[in-house]
Amino acid sequence: MTDVAPTEEFLELAGGRVRLLRGGAGEPVLFLHAAGGAGAWLPFHSRLAGAGFEVIVPDHPGFGKSDDFPEVEAIDDLIYHYLDVFDLLGFGPGAARPHVVGASFGGWIAAELAVHSPQLIGSLTLLSAAGLRLPDHPVADVFLMPPAKLAAALFHDPPLDPPLDPSRPGAAPDLDAIIAAYREATSLARFSWVPYLSDPKLERRLARITAPTLVVAPSDDRLIPVAHARRYAALIGGADYAEVAECGHAMHVERPAEFAALVASFLVSHPLAPLSESGVSR
Amino acid sequence: MKFSFFHLMPYPYLPDDFDSKYDSSALTYPNANFDPALGSALYARYLDELEYADQLGFDGIAVNEHHQSAYGLMPSPNLMAAALTRRTSNARIMVLGNAIAIRGNPLRVAEEIAMLDLLSGGRVDSGFVRGIGWEYFAHSINPVKSRARFDEAHDLIIKAWTSPEMFSWYGANYEYRYVNIWPRPVQRPHPPIYIPGAGSTETMKFCAERKYTYMSVYAPTSIVRRWFDGYRAAAADLGYVPDPEKIAFSVPVYVADTDERAHREARPALEWLYRKGLKQTAEMVTPPGYMSPGSLRGVLSSRPRSLGGLSYEDLLANGQAVVGSPAAVADRLAELYEKLGGFGQLIGLFAIGPSTHEQVMRSAELFAADVMPALRPLGVAAERTTA
Repeated sequence: MTDVAPTEEFLELAGGRVRLLRGGAGEPVLFLHAAGGAGAWLPFHSRLAGAGFEVIVPDHPGFGKSDDFPEVEAIDDLIYHYLDVFDLLGFGPGAARPHVVGASFGGWIAAELAVHSPQLIGSLTLLSAAGLRLPDHPVADVFLMPPAKLAAALFHDPPLDPPLDPSRPGAAPDLDAIIAAYREATSLARFSWVPYLSDPKLERRLARITAPTLVVAPSDDRLIPVAHARRYAALIGGADYAEVAECGHAMHVERPAEFAALVASFLVSHPLAPLSESGVSR
Repeated sequence: MKFSFFHLMPYPYLPDDFDSKYDSSALTYPNANFDPALGSALYARYLDELEYADQLGFDGIAVNEHHQSAYGLMPSPNLMAAALTRRTSNARIMVLGNAIAIRGNPLRVAEEIAMLDLLSGGRVDSGFVRGIGWEYFAHSINPVKSRARFDEAHDLIIKAWTSPEMFSWYGANYEYRYVNIWPRPVQRPHPPIYIPGAGSTETMKFCAERKYTYMSVYAPTSIVRRWFDGYRAAAADLGYVPDPEKIAFSVPVYVADTDERAHREARPALEWLYRKGLKQTAEMVTPPGYMSPGSLRGVLSSRPRSLGGLSYEDLLANGQAVVGSPAAVADRLAELYEKLGGFGQLIGLFAIGPSTHEQVMRSAELFAADVMPALRPLGVAAERTTA
């Protein structure tokens, strides 16, 4: 695999601009980023692109270089937002349909999209996805965690010098970075303060998903307990389930090589079938 | 000048290891540390203090709303105000205020304030606040909607009090097909409104447009001066000079017979207030969306130090507390009056943290007897008009 550099593009929607990164050639893979992962072309993306896929990474509303889209207030609005993005990317009836890979918050959006419009999804990969409400396995409160604690909670083996910690001794506070992080936290809160990072109705709707699905959980997820991934796998018909050892919540960052290989192997074994004119899949 | 006696009703019995063990007195500080028997005695004591302030001649007695916190034990300020209506006779009963943005049903606030107005014979003042950041965690209200909920709840409550006809309400945050409150308030057009400001120009304009009383929160004098000037400028933009009484300065005040005694007794109380009572994490102060990114940039650029890092001497020098003998307190408040460009109401926090009942009562007595008369002529409109 060789490194693949992305190009930056902007999509013009009625409510604002969506910024995306695109790299590689092959079947399209739409990657929906985690709450903390906007705007980044990660080694994982590069490896996946290098494995023969066209990887498309948009920033969510209110994240990265995408506009705020204030009318996108909740998860249902996000679904319609991404249906608009699908249209602009040329995914839809009579055209291509993408592999959809979502991490954490982005995994929640991916699952909701696959529930809403199962015929539009070529395959679905959920990486430590949020979205389920399991009172016995609560998701850690990311809004109350200080940045240093959050950074440490993302990894099984946290980096010694958490890059997100503006309060570490000796570091000059980067006001722009703090403000940008606050904007993204505000966007996340807009969609998911309550119900907290979940749609209580999602669980009973998961049976609607028809795409081949891979659910991946890290062995040591300190934010979203592994029970969430297991529940996704149990309720999505025929879903494959994999657990990555010695790995924290930010799997695709902590173990990009293992991770890209796992996802690429799943995608290769589920080549995209063309969408019929009737819109009926499989 | 009008004077009010403001109470937070703190729970002062924090454990010795509080500083090292807990990162806040709110939200995550376990209520296993709350002793209901002690709390019950505190309520009796604190209501006695507020009632005594009425007897001493304070113009107002004030309560406020906080949730899940040892800093203040009044989740419902309206309950405390109701208790005060029956055993006071002269003072304004000031609810400063109801946190309308975190209420699920703001019409309930319109109803309760109307009840208080009747119970008190038209003595109630109605403050509206957004609620502190941690309270958006505590009551599971999205802080991103804080400003919009506050504005809409305010508009709804005012209309519920003043509309000559029943009406329907369809807003982004609240919907009512029937708004038709019984009882209606006795004061016309409605009880006076107080709004705390902490630098937001939107709030200054909001208050100036409606001629509401703009009250400061605890901050250094130089910063409070900017807020008061902002309110005065907002009024000037609208073509009027605000009545001094519409500007209220809030500050902890402690008076004892001598300066030496006052400082000896006030030091631990103020250190408790600022270091323990107000101890909270950055995430609790500004949950996402509670401020706009632009406002947060302004705060982070200008904020000198956290409250907890201030020494007792800093607090006094900054005008974040006024302590001393009656003469010293009168002098200092007259000085702050000049430094702040004037104000017509002083909202004093007399029961500070772990102060004893005897200390609070004595402080209020000395203030009423020896400080109020000296300051009374200040902050009165030269030619009083009804604003």
